[in-house]
Amino acid sequence: MRGLMAGQASRIDDTLLVREAQRGNRAAFEELVRSYDQAVLRLALHLTGSEHEAQDVYQEAFLKAYKSIGNFRFECSFYTWIYRIVTNLCLDHLRKRQVRKEDAPVATDATGEQYDVLDQVPDGRSGANPERNLMSRELGKRISHALEKLTPRERMVFELKHYHGLKLRTVGEVLNTTEETAKNTLFRATQKLRGALADMR
Amino acid sequence: MKCEWVKDNVLLYVYNELPDDARYELEQHLARCTDCTAELKTTRKFHAMLSELPVEEPSPNLVAASRMRLQEGLETAEQGRFWHRLIFDPAAWLRQVRFAPALAAAIFIVGFAGGIATTYKVVSDKGASIASGPVSSPAESSITGIQSISQDPGSNHISIKYNTVSTQEAQGSLNDQRIQQLLLFAARNNYNSGVRMDSVDLLTQEPNNTHVREALMYALRYDSNPGVRLKALDSLGAFVKSDPRVRDVVLEALIQDSNPGVRTDALRLLDPVRADSSVRTVLQELARSDQNQYIRSQARIMLSQLPEFD
Repeated sequence: MRGLMAGQASRIDDTLLVREAQRGNRAAFEELVRSYDQAVLRLALHLTGSEHEAQDVYQEAFLKAYKSIGNFRFECSFYTWIYRIVTNLCLDHLRKRQVRKEDAPVATDATGEQYDVLDQVPDGRSGANPERNLMSRELGKRISHALEKLTPRERMVFELKHYHGLKLRTVGEVLNTTEETAKNTLFRATQKLRGALADMR
Repeated sequence: MKCEWVKDNVLLYVYNELPDDARYELEQHLARCTDCTAELKTTRKFHAMLSELPVEEPSPNLVAASRMRLQEGLETAEQGRFWHRLIFDPAAWLRQVRFAPALAAAIFIVGFAGGIATTYKVVSDKGASIASGPVSSPAESSITGIQSISQDPGSNHISIKYNTVSTQEAQGSLNDQRIQQLLLFAARNNYNSGVRMDSVDLLTQEPNNTHVREALMYALRYDSNPGVRLKALDSLGAFVKSDPRVRDVVLEALIQDSNPGVRTDALRLLDPVRADSSVRTVLQELARSDQNQYIRSQARIMLSQLPEFD
């Protein structure tokens, strides 16, 4: 039999799995998914702050990958290709959120401060650290707010570099731009964040 | 001035993005400059503070649920992929056929006479004359799909690649690599659950083999037949302690398997690792809110046997 045996597939590198998946081998595609899906979920979860939305991004990303894997021509690594798909979906998500916020109703809380009613606050996730005290969660909230002040691209570059450790070169590839541009975007994002969080010690 | 350059690059330094020579120069400068060292300290503090919004690992629940939902999505998408798999566009193909009306008939005759992955050149003029490869009887081979069709521009030469499959038999013992490969393939891909059950049954005799173990994990996760899943689970149970991947798959089964028998078995098999933090978290959740009364009470019992160190 010429086809790859499913049991061997997981040991062989991405290239062979991708070729198999391109020929319609669903088991090969599922094998590929399993190498990347936790990283994808981690990214979507941190970016959106919601398990529900993270799952939506995950679903869309891998379905898209499945449908367009025939167009993958190996001009970049599969890793970069997948991250590109996920990142673009995240950017869409961030843009949609921005638009909603512009019309968002604003309310006043107990201390008299205004806040957006539709604010995405990191929710209490199952399996999260129960040790994190109230203070720490407050700080987390403020960082979240500050991140929302960035443009979607700035947010994305910062997210990928700072929270997920991607090299700037990869960030550039993933966003279809140069490393230099990614670098400048990172600088801008960092400056904005420092400004927004200046009073935090 | 040097300090300006350093201040511009301290961010990249902290992110480990500076090329080696620049990094060296920067470190040399820092050794002599208190101002810039202070700047580095501020930047590092800022960085540390940002981790007050930590990147959290997705919970096993979330991973399992996402995978399941994706599977359903892939099944639906599968139907739409049929033409894609054949790597040709039927509309374009039909357009070509219009230039050679005898072609359509010729292709099907050619097909049934073929061997495996044979290429044919069909010259269509006043009548099709077929140059063919090895011929085997139709009962032994059938077409699984047409791989590609191309027409030489400006001529009547058409090239068609198609795949066929023929039934063969392999015999040997469980130690035979060929037999193992076929068993692994059958465990995953066969439509007949009886055949899948037979192969998983044989595979459970060799769970030390990594490929076999992976196939068993796959069967536990994805097989539609609960009997097959149970068989795979029971064999994997012995490895729950030594192999964290097995533990995670069994945990997944406990959380989301549709069959209560599989779930209770998974719960029982996780007892040796009930102290693991991921297992413990799941047990707490189950003890609190699972629909199945037996599982709720079993989870509570297992939790109560854990040492207190919270």
